[in-house]
Amino acid sequence: MLCIAGYNLCKSYVDSDQSINVLTDATLEVETAKMICITGQSGCGKSTMLHILGLLDAADSGRVIIGGREISSMMPEAPQIRNSELGFVFQFHYLVEDLTAKENVALPMIIAGSSSVVAQKRASELLSTLGLASRLSRYPNQLSGGEQQRVSLARALINNPKIVLADEPTGNLDPDHSAEVWQMILQLNKQREQAFVIVTHDRESARLASQTYNLAQGKLSLLS
Amino acid sequence: MDKLEQFFFLRYIKAPKRNLLRFSFVFMTLGIVLSVAILSAGLNLFEGYERSLKAVLLGSFPHITIQNTAESYISPIEANMLTTKLTRHGEVSSVLPALSYSAMAVGESKVRGISLTAYYSDGSTALPFEKYVSMGNKQLAKGEAIVGKYLAKELGKSIGDTLKVVYPQLDKISALGIFPSQRSYKITGIYSSGLYESDRSSVICTWEDAQALLGISPGFSKLEIRLQPQYVDSAINVSRKIMNRLGSEYYVYPWTTFSSGLLGLIRMEKWLIFIIFCFLVLIAGVNVISAVSTIILDKKNEIAVLKTLGASSASIKKLLSYQVGLVAFGAILLGQILGALLSLFVEKQGFYKLKGDVYFIDTLSAAISPLNQVLIFCVAALLVTVCIRYPLRQIDKLQIMELLRNP
Ligand SMILES: Nc1ncnc2c1ncn2[C@@H]1O[C@H](COP(=O)(O)OP(=O)(O)O)[C@@H](O)[C@H]1O
Ligand SMILES: [Mg+2]
Repeated sequence: MLCIAGYNLCKSYVDSDQSINVLTDATLEVETAKMICITGQSGCGKSTMLHILGLLDAADSGRVIIGGREISSMMPEAPQIRNSELGFVFQFHYLVEDLTAKENVALPMIIAGSSSVVAQKRASELLSTLGLASRLSRYPNQLSGGEQQRVSLARALINNPKIVLADEPTGNLDPDHSAEVWQMILQLNKQREQAFVIVTHDRESARLASQTYNLAQGKLSLLS
Repeated sequence: MDKLEQFFFLRYIKAPKRNLLRFSFVFMTLGIVLSVAILSAGLNLFEGYERSLKAVLLGSFPHITIQNTAESYISPIEANMLTTKLTRHGEVSSVLPALSYSAMAVGESKVRGISLTAYYSDGSTALPFEKYVSMGNKQLAKGEAIVGKYLAKELGKSIGDTLKVVYPQLDKISALGIFPSQRSYKITGIYSSGLYESDRSSVICTWEDAQALLGISPGFSKLEIRLQPQYVDSAINVSRKIMNRLGSEYYVYPWTTFSSGLLGLIRMEKWLIFIIFCFLVLIAGVNVISAVSTIILDKKNEIAVLKTLGASSASIKKLLSYQVGLVAFGAILLGQILGALLSLFVEKQGFYKLKGDVYFIDTLSAAISPLNQVLIFCVAALLVTVCIRYPLRQIDKLQIMELLRNP
């Protein structure tokens, strides 16, 4: 069963009178509980692809289907879908500086309307399963890069989304921390039947995915 | 407040050091504290001025004055009858027959116009001037007088000296000119009400002495009515009632006839000052706008994340406004406290005094009225709220993508 798909996505930017066609005809279908990796040269449009799938950016043409429904970032229900059906992990962790790890993780649940007590309890459990039980009350600047990225992974997971979109989640990490995060993603993908779409430069780790795509000339092609 | 707003609000309160004591709030806080302090000190002092002026006007002048329409003196029998009638009104606290007229005090080298007043009293009620006698004796005997503080000073007299008073009898002009009647009194007390004009012109003597100087048979020029405190402000209504009862033979003047213009002017001045000082708060509001803009810049990544996670612009605006608002409202309260201290300091200090001939009274005093404090808080809070909300509109325009791409 498809949980998220993008068909014939086109996107171009106009930059000083010259238009750059970033996506020309990109199509991607992701089935439930699958792990997909997208690789490609820097600047080829991987992030753009992920942002369109994640309803953060609008495509010039093409369709995005989430849970069987066509949807775009402009629709008023987009924020709610981002909150409950999608999880995001970015290259930079984007944690709220003035909130502790636990509170950061609890945010999506609080936005969805849960009480902060319930949300923080759930956040603590989740952080513990990610091996951060001793870091719950630390602020982001008191955590290592790997720990910060695990906290944002936990934040992406707390509302139990069907799809997690990750944009170079290990791009800023050293090999040890990077391996640690990949391990975690793989484990979560198996245990929780969540689909992952991961943009990465790391070809080694991309082998762990069910399918790997390459993005070039604005199109996606299946590598394996 | 939705759950997210509640959550952040509680965060701000529970961890104020981390969330509220930010450098970008320093100038905003200073601006609000100072402007509100000036606003509230100004209002406290003006309120105090208005109140003390009103208190001294009502303390030294009658609340209602009754005079004969025939412009003749009221005889003791008539006065007695009127007193009986008037004391039947529940609003009336005391009725005092008085003789009051203009005369001249003659010093060694100076002559001053004075207002000579004398009361008839059976001793049952305290006379209105007694509470203002600052030196010497409150009780008057024949041949004695109580003299206004500034009048005594100008004439170079003090307790124990004699004061020569002259009454020019204009109705007794003969071929040889005017023959003034004159008397000398021994000064036994100094009158100091704080009302400059009274302190510069009042001479109080016994009823018999006043009659003798005037050269009339026993009589009064007016009846002075003092009201129960709760009816003082409705003196107009009470005097209307009295007028209906006494008929057309008497004039009935409530105190407002003489003083409401002055008090109204001062009240208007007070609100004018209030409005002008409100502009100071508005100027402080410019700092609020810049503090909010700074915090939006500082937090644009976090704003982008909250939007990505599904929070609406409206809630993000609210939670930022709570953060700035808590600081700003705290600053308003601080400003009010500082303003109160400032006005009390001005009241207690000794080096600056009001000029009595310009401001009617010569002492500064502050009145911190709860109603005014609430008003100051509301007006300042309103201005600050507008200044917080205005820059927050930027948040609607912030595109998630731009924020995520340019961290
Ligand atoms: N707002 C923009 N204006 C102009 N060009 C843009 C804008 N956003 C992205 N681009 C361009 O689009 C291309 C694709 O960007 P991106 O999707 O971030 O690439 P990737 O993630 O694969 O490195 C890049 O060449 C980038 O310069
Ligand atoms: Mg990218």
